[in-house]
Formats: sequence, C-alpha cells, structure tokens
Amino acid sequence: MSVRKFAMLAVLTCSGIAVLALFVAIGPSRASAQIRTYKPPQTAAPGADWTKRIEEILPPGVESRAEATARIAAYKPDPVKYPVPRTPWDGKPDFSGVYWPDATITPPPVPLESLYRPEAREYREGGGAAAGLIDWRGIDTPNYHCWPPSPVNGSMGGTVQLVSAPGHLLLLNEGGSNFRIIPIVGEHGPQPSSSRKPSFQGSSVGHWEGDTLVVEVTNFNGKPWLGAAQPPNRLPQTSSDALRIVERWSRPDAQIFEYRLVVEDPKMLTAPWTGSADRRGILPYDTVQESLCFLDPELDARHREFAAKEAKKRGAVR
Amino acid sequence: MSRRTMAVVVGTVVVGAALLVGLRMARDENGATESAATDAGSFTATAWGEPNLTGVWRAAPLGAGSGRDTFNLAKLEGLYTPEARARMKELSAKDDPTMRCTPPAFPRAAMLGYPVQIIQRPGFAFVFTEAYPVFRIIPTTGRAHTSGQYLFPTHLGDSTARWEGDTLVVDVISFNGEGWLASPQDRPTNASTGVWLTSDAMHVVERWRRIDPDTLEYQARVEDPKTLTMPWETPKVTFKRQTVDRIEEVLCRPEDGPETYLARLGS
Repeated sequence: MSVRKFAMLAVLTCSGIAVLALFVAIGPSRASAQIRTYKPPQTAAPGADWTKRIEEILPPGVESRAEATARIAAYKPDPVKYPVPRTPWDGKPDFSGVYWPDATITPPPVPLESLYRPEAREYREGGGAAAGLIDWRGIDTPNYHCWPPSPVNGSMGGTVQLVSAPGHLLLLNEGGSNFRIIPIVGEHGPQPSSSRKPSFQGSSVGHWEGDTLVVEVTNFNGKPWLGAAQPPNRLPQTSSDALRIVERWSRPDAQIFEYRLVVEDPKMLTAPWTGSADRRGILPYDTVQESLCFLDPELDARHREFAAKEAKKRGAVR
Repeated sequence: MSRRTMAVVVGTVVVGAALLVGLRMARDENGATESAATDAGSFTATAWGEPNLTGVWRAAPLGAGSGRDTFNLAKLEGLYTPEARARMKELSAKDDPTMRCTPPAFPRAAMLGYPVQIIQRPGFAFVFTEAYPVFRIIPTTGRAHTSGQYLFPTHLGDSTARWEGDTLVVDVISFNGEGWLASPQDRPTNASTGVWLTSDAMHVVERWRRIDPDTLEYQARVEDPKTLTMPWETPKVTFKRQTVDRIEEVLCRPEDGPETYLARLGS
C-alpha cells in the first residue's frame, strides 16, 4: 500500500516540479522570441510551497508529502520489531537503503540567521562567491545552476540512496545525480587523501563512535549557500572556505536513519550552529534512478544576461 | 595442539614477511603512498569472497586521429548504417552531448582518460566517474534488468551484472539514444565526420577484470541494430590503480561553459 503511495507521490512530485519549472522558465517569455529586456523570474508569494500545490492534485488515498513527513517525524523507532541491519564485514549499522522524505525531529536551537556576522552583510548582498552569477533577488537559487544541494542538508536532495560498503558510506542523490563518497577510517577504510581540491561538497572523513558514524567535512570551496535567500528580507546564507561541518549519522531501527550536524564557519558565523535533527524513512527500493540536472536553455539565457549586466555594472563603478 | 599453534605462528610469519617484502617492492617501484600499498595484499577478494575491483583507476586517453587509432574506431565507422551516416553528415562537434554537460556512457567514458572509482558491497558494484560526475549502480547477482514498469531510457542505461570467474560481465540496456560512442576529435579516416551516434536500441556488454593489484582491464561490445550493421568490439582498456583514496569533485556547471570545463578537467 505505502509502496504504491510513495511511487505515485514521487511521480506526481517530479512531474509537478517539472511542470512548474517549465512554467516559470518558459511561460512568461514565450511571446517574444526576440532579444528582450531582463526581467527577474517571478517570485513565489512569501510562504508559498510547491508541494502544497502538488498536493492539491493528489488522487484520494495517496499519502501527501506533508502526511509522510508527519508520519516519519512521529514514528517511534522499534529496534526489537525492526532490528538495525548490520554489515557482514564489521558488524556496524548498515545504512543501505533508499530514503524519503526529510522530517525534522528537533528544530535548530537558534536560527542560523541569528549567528551571521554583521560585517558579512556586504559579502552576502553580493551573493558571496556567486557574485554576479546568481540573481538572488528573483527566485534564482543555487539549485537553478545545478549546484549540489546545500551541505547543511548533508548535500542530500529529495530521494537519497545510502550505501554502506567496507570503509565507506556512499550517498547517491536521485535528483541531479550528485554523490558523496565518505571514507570511514578504520580497519576496512583507506587512508584519506589529504590533497583533494576544495569543492562544493567538501572532503569527508568518517569514524565510528559506537553505532554512530561521525563525519567531519572540510575543504569546501566557499561557494555553497547554507540557506537560500528570501527576498527582500533575508540575504543569501553564504559560506566561506573556513566552513567545517560535523555530521552524526545513526540508524535507530530498520525503518529510518537520523542525521544531525553542527556547522562552523568563523568567517561568516559568530558561533557554531547546531542544525535540526532530521530523519528519513526507508522506501522499498534498492536503487535510485538517473535524474540529471540540466538547465533549461531559457533560464540559462537569463543567467547569462544577468551575469553580463552585473559585470557591466561593476565595470562602470571602476 | 602446540604443534598446530606453532604451524599457525610460522605460517603467519612467513606470509607476513612475504607481504612486507612485496609492499616494500611495490613502494620502491613507483613511490606509491601507503594507501595503495596497504590494500595491495587483499586485492584478490572482498571480505565476502567476490573478486575485488575497489579503487580509483585511470587509463590513458584513447581515440583516433592523425594516423593513429587506439580505440578500434575505424572499424566502428565502417559499421554505421547508411541512414545513420546520412544523419551524421548533418551534425558537427557542437552537437556532441558532452558539450551540454551530458555524462558520456561507457564505453566512451573509459576512453577519455579521466579517473573512475569503483566501490563494492555484497550484491552491488558502484562506478563513479570524475569527469561529468555521475554514478552507476550495478547489481552483481545476475538478477534481471529493472522491470519494464520502472524502466525508462537514460543516458547511462540500466545495468545488471554477473561474475564469470573473476570477470564482472555487465549487461546494459535502456539507453536514451542521445549519447555518442566517441568524441568529435576522433577521426580515424579522411571521411570521418567526428560524429558517433547511438540509438535507444543500444546494448552494451562490458567485461571488467582485475588482473593484478595495480591493473584493471576493461572491454566492451556494443550492439545497436538501429545504427550499426554488426556489433562493435572495443580494444582492451588498461586502467592503472591510483594512489588517492577517492576521485575529485569536478562538476560540469552551465556557467562554466564547455571550454572552461574541459580546461578544468585537464588540470
């Protein structure tokens, strides 16, 4: 029953997002195929949520995302009924599975925004390392540029597959096909390389503390946003190359996994920030599917237009 | 009892000494770091007894042009149907799907010369590519392809595999027909268009085999009844083990443009 629900919901969600994305990208400009003046993409009304609009068209009997999230959030782990799966090679919890959706079980003690340094304001207004690239005053976000999901979500998107392998935890995102390879230090793990280049998803190294996998992520490239802007009130929540995240992954029972994190970025934040404790429910699949991120050509044209305009503006100032 | 203990101790010492000597030799040979050396002793099998393909691997770039053909591409060119040739004449380098950041499927991914990482767990192998980063999920139990209800065409296709001795034989179907089999600069003959079309009828059979601690061999057979008159065989591609523990994150992003991306890849 819930299998069908999830499948239908996934299909509906995907098609809903695709339709909306197409509408946003193509809708307003189909009339004029000629060169036109730049208009920022239509901003969604404050608080508007695509998932709500998708749920309006759900057939009766299908669990909505909100319902699934509430069910997962209220779920009481039962390791007797659903024993924690363990790997045959080291007896540690086996995270392998496909998971959806993301439910918050403990909200952050303080909002991330409250910790931003006042002196970072100018940097954030420019979009941080995405200066002149992401038109955050519209609805433009890093997602529209096919950047990986924010590291504050563990670089996890919608549906995510986790894989436990000897010396590794693998994270495979369905949306965008981004992946993370997390080496686990220990008997089965290789010595982590120290020479990787800075990146959007950083370099991860994991170790076990009992049955909890603790992952330290550093070596970020300063580009990821920890949270998107909410124009006109909230600036992009930019990060720096000093970003350091400590994640704690656990598997209370076979039905769910849980994810906690602490974010440090002394160049942006006045103190370390504890994110929400999140939980995801397991789906009855053993693989995610290929779903690459491609930019709509129309949206791409807008990005280039915006970038050119910004470059000109800065040239004029100089 | 004590004799058996003795035998175990002696055996352990002998094996340990042999390993140490082996490791020292491997390190002396190419200045490899510890990570490559420590894994070398257990390369033959995973903890659950399958051949172990785990590691970061890289092959020399292969292709065709200016009198050389290291990927059997003259042969491939001769196999295209007249209809496919006609379509290929109308296309050019800018139509190469990788110019839009579309990940090339194997076997093309194996000829580009960029790193590949393989990680296994019981029943699955995962292949990650550094260039045009994507992952492949390959069931290794010989199970059937994804059932028709959930099977839809993709860039990388639907893989399933079985072990034939120490060779992982991967069967790949359900391609979307957008990918190319080689790159625009690959021109084995004077008549080459540099266009290498595929169709949604493509069927690839790959053979992955680790022949020694530092070498992984790859070979593929491509059938595509809609574009090729006969199956095409790639030559063997020799991947060498890299000393890093994982590939880099090299995203292909629209704002970089293909030129910038290719320049970044080269570095």
